[in-house]
Amino acid sequence: MAIRWMRSLRLMLAAGTALLLAACGGGGGGSGPPPPPVITKAEAHRFLMQATFGPTEADVQRVIDVGYEAWLDEQLRLPATKQLTYMRTLPQPNTQDDRMDAWFQSSLKGRDQLRQRMAFALSEIWVVSEISALSEFPQALAWYYDLLAENAFGNYRDLMERVTLSPQMGIYLSMLGNEKPDAARNIRPDENYARELMQLFTIGLVELNMDGSVRRDSGGVPLPTYDQETIEGFAHVYTGWTFGGSPSFYQPSFDWLRPMDPYEAFHDTGAKRVLNGATIPAGGTARGDLAAALDNIFAHDNVPPFVSKQLIQRFVTSNPSPAYVERVARVFADNGRGARGDLGAVIKAVLLDTEARQTPTSEDAGKLKEPLLRLTGLWRAYGAAATNGRYVVPGLAFVLGQAPLQSPSVFNFFRPDYAPPGEISQAGLVAPEMQITNDLTAALTTNIMTIAVFVWNRFDSNLPPEAVAIDFSGEVAAASDPAALVTRVAERLLGGAPSTELWREAEALAAQYPEDQAALRVLEVTHLIATSPEYAVQR
Amino acid sequence: MNTIDRRHFLRLALATGGALGLGTLAAPARADTSGYRALVAVFLYGGNDSFNMVVPRSAAEYAVYAAARQNLAIPQSGLLPISPLTPDGATYGLHPSMGGLQQLFGTGRAAIVANTGPLVEPATKAQVLARSVALPPQLFSHNDQQDQWHTLKGRQVLVTGWAGRVADLLEADLSTQQLPMNLSIAGTVPFQAAAQAEPYVIGDQGVVGYAALDASVFNGPLRRRAFESLLAARQPTIYGRAVKSVHQRALTYADRASTALAAAPALTTSFPDTPLGRQLAMVAKIVSVRGTLAMRRQIFLVGIGGFDTHDVQNTAQPGLLGGVSASLGAFDAAMTELGVGSQVTAFTMSDFGRTLTSNGDGTDHGWAGHQLVVGGAVQGSDIYGTMPRLEIDGPDDVGGGRIVPTIAVQQYAATLLRWFGLDETQIDAAVPGLGAFAARDLGFMA
Repeated sequence: MAIRWMRSLRLMLAAGTALLLAACGGGGGGSGPPPPPVITKAEAHRFLMQATFGPTEADVQRVIDVGYEAWLDEQLRLPATKQLTYMRTLPQPNTQDDRMDAWFQSSLKGRDQLRQRMAFALSEIWVVSEISALSEFPQALAWYYDLLAENAFGNYRDLMERVTLSPQMGIYLSMLGNEKPDAARNIRPDENYARELMQLFTIGLVELNMDGSVRRDSGGVPLPTYDQETIEGFAHVYTGWTFGGSPSFYQPSFDWLRPMDPYEAFHDTGAKRVLNGATIPAGGTARGDLAAALDNIFAHDNVPPFVSKQLIQRFVTSNPSPAYVERVARVFADNGRGARGDLGAVIKAVLLDTEARQTPTSEDAGKLKEPLLRLTGLWRAYGAAATNGRYVVPGLAFVLGQAPLQSPSVFNFFRPDYAPPGEISQAGLVAPEMQITNDLTAALTTNIMTIAVFVWNRFDSNLPPEAVAIDFSGEVAAASDPAALVTRVAERLLGGAPSTELWREAEALAAQYPEDQAALRVLEVTHLIATSPEYAVQR
Repeated sequence: MNTIDRRHFLRLALATGGALGLGTLAAPARADTSGYRALVAVFLYGGNDSFNMVVPRSAAEYAVYAAARQNLAIPQSGLLPISPLTPDGATYGLHPSMGGLQQLFGTGRAAIVANTGPLVEPATKAQVLARSVALPPQLFSHNDQQDQWHTLKGRQVLVTGWAGRVADLLEADLSTQQLPMNLSIAGTVPFQAAAQAEPYVIGDQGVVGYAALDASVFNGPLRRRAFESLLAARQPTIYGRAVKSVHQRALTYADRASTALAAAPALTTSFPDTPLGRQLAMVAKIVSVRGTLAMRRQIFLVGIGGFDTHDVQNTAQPGLLGGVSASLGAFDAAMTELGVGSQVTAFTMSDFGRTLTSNGDGTDHGWAGHQLVVGGAVQGSDIYGTMPRLEIDGPDDVGGGRIVPTIAVQQYAATLLRWFGLDETQIDAAVPGLGAFAARDLGFMA
């Protein structure tokens, strides 16, 4: 028996070059809380698929023991695992591979799973990317991601300000170094950040109701949220900022690990027209005008539904009902204690909502898992690790079609409203993750699972120290009975029994091998389930 | 999408009152799909600052340009002269990094389509400012304007792209082709979204097969049968159905495409080793095996980013424009080498042109811009349309240095599709909204 032949698979794969890159607990009051309902293993698994980078047996048991809300509250109390901290323990200078390693360390092994999932979700909304001038600065990108993780359960208004003043976003969307007008040199303030902050990060292009539906005029045309004059008003606000601690505005410090600082001589002090007919009066400072501008945007009615719906899409389902969106948006608008923008309360609302917790029956419940999450799901289920303790997989972004902070543009890997042509588009539904699911990526993502099972496993004692490998030896005992093996693997990866077809095919594949080839039985069954359409879907 | 039959699709198209732009689909139409013709869309993502790509050289016009562009103006002495066959009183030059394009233009194999952009109907500056004409929504937003170029939607709701609609229109005519008509080397794009005839996506390294299912690996065929059984089974969710149908198509086409490509002839033409160069090299490779795959009509999409030059434009532009010039030059040479030099036409698209004004070291999102068309069938050595006056607050500036287009993307597309073989009825079906513009053919194709 030779697993060695599997190494030829590596030669068949395309060489990768990194490209493509509070509190509302629900329930009526009365005489004390009702006892938590009994949670099945399947339900706990399902919850953890939504809330972590992949269910593990230990986490499943914890959820069963303490219930959903208590588990969430535990998560909300855990501090952030920081990428930059880990990166500093590595030989310097850091590389982008080091940053990816740090991401896997946090996302696979961090106890703060929900916080890390939130950071990842926020990184797909407040997009900053290595595919830019930031490609040379891995620590800078790690600092930015850590910022998202630290503020994951904080207030959205704080997040708006911290991201706005990050030099990473400043470089990515051109606010850093943006100057007040200079008629002699035909200079006008750049509008990039003014536009994208509203279009992509806070309110969107059209007015929304609290349930996420679009508000239209009497002719049925969607009402725009802002016009060119508003953009120009904000563009004039975002002037006069550069790297923190710079000797002067034109002598940037290039200090990536601190917020930007204002230089009043380059800040426009005119009056600025902003949203909802408001005007920021003339004579303000850079910092004062910025605060007023962010307050103005934060107060817009769109923010709760715009943000809530996207968070639901990142965690639970691509097509939430309007009622679900509205329930969460209302928690965003007021967390029950008078605070607007409480992300901790919002994420609890997203995950505790009946629509998230009930067993799905409709065909559009759930979502396609992002390719990266399919991989982390497998790796967490089996505790995959390299003998050198690192997670370095060159070309991973190319193979998966995505990687943290490697979006090809500010529009993330996929748009929240993407609908593939055919059944989904015709039904007026969306499936954002389908935007990166095509002939090329379908083969590539399948192949990475092939490698993760057939090539990087501890049955092969000659793996290089950097191979992120799974030790399947614990599965061998069950392999003597194909049915028991399939049951075990399905429970680990799917949370319960597989479909009839998957059961039949997996069992048949296992039975192809004689009983003394238990290792191959294990690998075949795991591979088939990990590459199946039902594993790719989260429901 | 194989669960939608043609009659169902027609019902949808007609029931939506032509909103899909295919109300005339039921009328008999005659496409010319004889021989071989291919279109290669080259999308320059981010908004190419084409006012620095084609620049006036004559004294008066250059002075206007330089006054507007200030520190972003290309020095006059560096411009590469071109001599358009149709003079307009001014002379022009290309960005210094575009020697390849200068050569193509000189030998009649490239044309410039000037001052082009998304419109709903013809518009002057006065009309735009008075809001007396319909305009495309969200004019300076990247994804909305990319969508305009991809779909030609104007103010309609369109879920298909113009290449996708062409594929639907020609599906019956091209039923013997072994691969879809639409092929993308740059991911899933709205340009090729169709109601029925889905595109094929490959990478710049070629087809990627399913490694574990390959016939050459131990138990590969067994694993493939198991996987295919899973794909044949009914999926209870829309997401499961969507992903499985991608797998099914990918498996089908991977076999055919990789077999054909394995026998592709070696080309002597070399391409730049850059993302754009590699994508165009892959297009050339697929063109070289068109016979094996029984392809008669193809629309390719390649694309690169980096054109959103809000910052350091002077530093970035030489590489960006030089790259476009070198890659298009290599591609044209490769098509000639393959003997299809007059049967393949490459054309650029971009979200928008950029503002005449600067923000200090870069430009902001504009509107009209110039596009390039390259190939032997192009009536080259000329500039089509009207060059704008590059004056801030001048007669063509609708505000902030943004220039109003005088050619609509619909007219650009219609001209290319006529050459591709569509008849007038089909052109209207593929290019809804064309009727708002007087010239249905801009004349840059033979």
